[in-house]
Amino acid sequence: MTALNILLLLLTAAAIPGLINRTRARLAGRKGIRFLQHLYDVRLQLRKGAVYPATASALFRAAPSVYLAAAIVAALFVPAGDLRPLLAFDGDLVAFAYTLALGRFALVLAAMDTGSPFEGMGASREALYGALVEPALLLAAATLALLTGYDSFAAIFAGDAAGGIQHTIVMLLTAFVLMKVVFTESGRVPVDDPRTHLELTMIHEVMCLDYGGVDMAMIKIAGWLKTAALSLLAADVAAAPLGGSWWIAAPLAVLLTGLSVGVVESTQARNKLVRNTTFILTVAAMSALVFFMAFLLRTNVVMQ
Amino acid sequence: MFYIYSLAALACAAALIFAVPLRAKNRAALAIVLAGAIPAVVMAARALTGTAATTLWAFEGLLGPDGGSMDALSALFVLLIAIGGVAATLYAHGYLAHTLRRKSPAHVALHYTALVTMFYAMLGVVVSDGGYSFLFFWELMTVASFLLILYDAERREVLRAALSYLIMMHIGFLLLVVGFARLAAETGSASFDALTLCARSARGALPLLLVFIAGFGMKAGMFPMHVWLPEAHPAAPSHVSALMSGVMIKTGVYGILRVLQAGAFDPGDAETLRTAGFVLLAAGAATGLWGAILAAAQNDVKRILAYSSIENIGIVLLGIGVAALGRSSGNQTMALCGLAGALLHTLNHSLFKSLLFFGAGNILSQTRTTSLDALGGLGKHMPLTAILFLTASAAICALPPLNGFVSELLVYLGLFDGIASGSDPLAAAAGIAALALIGGIVLLAFAKLYATVFLGAPRTHEVAEAAEVDNLRIAAMSLPLAGILFIGLFPATAAGIAARAAAWVLRLPAEAVDLRLSPTLGAVGRTAWLLVAVALLLAWLRRRTLARRTVRTGPTWGCGFTAPNVRMQYTGESFSEGLESIATPLTQNRIDGRAVEKGEIFPASHNFDIRRKDRIDRLFSAWWVELLRLINQRAMRLRTGKINHYLLFALAFLLLIPLLSLLNLL
Repeated sequence: MTALNILLLLLTAAAIPGLINRTRARLAGRKGIRFLQHLYDVRLQLRKGAVYPATASALFRAAPSVYLAAAIVAALFVPAGDLRPLLAFDGDLVAFAYTLALGRFALVLAAMDTGSPFEGMGASREALYGALVEPALLLAAATLALLTGYDSFAAIFAGDAAGGIQHTIVMLLTAFVLMKVVFTESGRVPVDDPRTHLELTMIHEVMCLDYGGVDMAMIKIAGWLKTAALSLLAADVAAAPLGGSWWIAAPLAVLLTGLSVGVVESTQARNKLVRNTTFILTVAAMSALVFFMAFLLRTNVVMQ
Repeated sequence: MFYIYSLAALACAAALIFAVPLRAKNRAALAIVLAGAIPAVVMAARALTGTAATTLWAFEGLLGPDGGSMDALSALFVLLIAIGGVAATLYAHGYLAHTLRRKSPAHVALHYTALVTMFYAMLGVVVSDGGYSFLFFWELMTVASFLLILYDAERREVLRAALSYLIMMHIGFLLLVVGFARLAAETGSASFDALTLCARSARGALPLLLVFIAGFGMKAGMFPMHVWLPEAHPAAPSHVSALMSGVMIKTGVYGILRVLQAGAFDPGDAETLRTAGFVLLAAGAATGLWGAILAAAQNDVKRILAYSSIENIGIVLLGIGVAALGRSSGNQTMALCGLAGALLHTLNHSLFKSLLFFGAGNILSQTRTTSLDALGGLGKHMPLTAILFLTASAAICALPPLNGFVSELLVYLGLFDGIASGSDPLAAAAGIAALALIGGIVLLAFAKLYATVFLGAPRTHEVAEAAEVDNLRIAAMSLPLAGILFIGLFPATAAGIAARAAAWVLRLPAEAVDLRLSPTLGAVGRTAWLLVAVALLLAWLRRRTLARRTVRTGPTWGCGFTAPNVRMQYTGESFSEGLESIATPLTQNRIDGRAVEKGEIFPASHNFDIRRKDRIDRLFSAWWVELLRLINQRAMRLRTGKINHYLLFALAFLLLIPLLSLLNLL
């Protein structure tokens, strides 16, 4: 079962970028590139050598490995529906968030190591947005803990979810908050635009300007895994009222993120950078509000 | 007699330090510290494995029976003091070496005597049972640390910071004296155990507990009484900052835990405990957030570290608050996790903060500055310091697989348990939100600190010529590093000890620990190893792949700009610019010069310096300093210099006394 979970995670990670590209192409009236073109691109990058900036130290060379390792370990915490993930213990939701933070720390430092002011800008923004999105993620986890009475992903999504329309609404709202976290953490519109051409307005992309070849491939793979892990989490929450089986949750993760990111990127412009702080704080506030709703619901249930 | 013996022993130590030649003073101090540290650690280890408390001394004192004993709680703090004390004394040798020519031998001897005194006073504080001997050691500790800060007394700001420290500490001391005197008046004994009697009395122990929490909070740097901390730490020599920040402020935490243990973790008095829990939770969240945001806004290595100490005290207080709430609602897991997290975080913080302050000392001694805007690229010139500093920075950001993560996870576990079991969901959720935000902002602060100091290119030529420090200092820094790695990679052992001590403090059975925490801690340890293994495997694969390819170095991509220079690198101030809207209400900024404006197409040379001072600092100094000055002014009118006036005052006083006693006011 754990092996199936890992397999689903990998499939999700590979499928989401493809679906995003396809959605965007169709909405623009194009046919679009191959569904797995991004995998071919990465294979190409893995065959290349490397050019490092002269200012950079050993940290710059080590950072992609740490970033990818953090993404891999973080992804291993996430169950697909009712499957059991490889890593599961009480409080693993916190470990998940902090492992992702380790990756962020490594990449931010690597960007600062180049001595480039543009990469500094990206690093500073990434650190700030990461700091502000953390309460949103953990409050969403707290909502799940409150609704189910467990503090481990595996136990929360193990099935036997209590039904009821109110319960479903709160779960869907939590999934909505988590989707916003996906948008922020994976650097998508409206927070960040991965296709922008101007370094001054980039966030995630500008941090990797001086990486190429193998290192860039590692960073890309880590990004896919991170997006897949967070999307699966959102899909698990959304699928929980439907029984939360893995064969619902995993496709839902691909569809939710693939379609919503594709549609948003085709129809909406990126926020002005100063608006991003407000956007993320709003997500955190929403998360707190959903928790409060869950709290009211719970006290109500207990009283009845 | 006890105090006379203690002081006599101290005088002998001082005489030894004064007598030996200048070069050997450090070794003499180290020998004296080790002579205390080794038996103390042995006794602490015995106390941690056993359960019964060992009595060290006992006699009839001024405020009732007086004594000292070693129990599980003391033992944990004894360990922390021993590690911190030995590392600081070892580090002092290299750090003070270049000042030996400037200072007189007596000055250096006084410094080392104060260091030794401080070490023993802290040991005395954590083994005293309360009452007079506790206050004796507490005051000795304050005075010794005051002398330690004063090493560079010729600098004006050092004198100012030391005096402000002394004043603030004595306000805290006054609160403690009030607390102990009140305790003695109510129960006939001023030892901590008397608080249990007090708690069982009709009035309850709550007011007394709050007085003690405020008094100890002053030492610990609890919001809003933290203002002495960011001034005193940068002013003190680095090993003293390490000792004060890593160890001394923990005695405040010890005090809070001790009064709670004696006066509140008693099943009979849930209401008091609940109130204390809410107070501590709120104080912890406020302290942590305030410290984190201000740390991110600072532009000086030592000031960032000082504010981060405040932030970590906040996390510890939050953990204690969680424990109190859990205990009051009968939720054993929540209580155990919260307190184990708080205890372990206290130990963890002493490890990484000592290491970070030693690192700051290396930076200061090799480059003569701690200002972020003058540093940069030190990683290439001081690789060992850089690696040690990076490890400690990652640990303080609570990143796995290091020790900070283990203790913060325990606090989170307590909070999540409070939610999952439904005992205090709203308070726990507030705690989670605060802790998450603290974690994120601290990551920003330490990314900023490490990146501007050690990464990129040097911003001044002094920095470009810096060399690595001597091996003795690196050895002193390896001592805390070993602890950081051990606790991070073997959490089951290390956190198990903290959890058993927590169970003892909470008066819970030790089996609760094994039942509830052991599986989790084991899994955390395995995850840590998995993370390390995956990272190493990936690094090895990458290396193997690149070995057969062409790897070149070239200039950093400047986005088409062809003449970049080192001053164009992102500075610390610009790195934390995004936090400005959040930080501005908390700070009072002093700006020198003028920033480049948006409209300037061809900017001329500008001087720009911004200092972000704590707003609370002003709030504090503004009203009571002003009040003192006014009172002083009024009182000065009485000093006329005429003998007849003075005789009149004496007569008035003599008349006042019988009058008051007649009215039954005396």
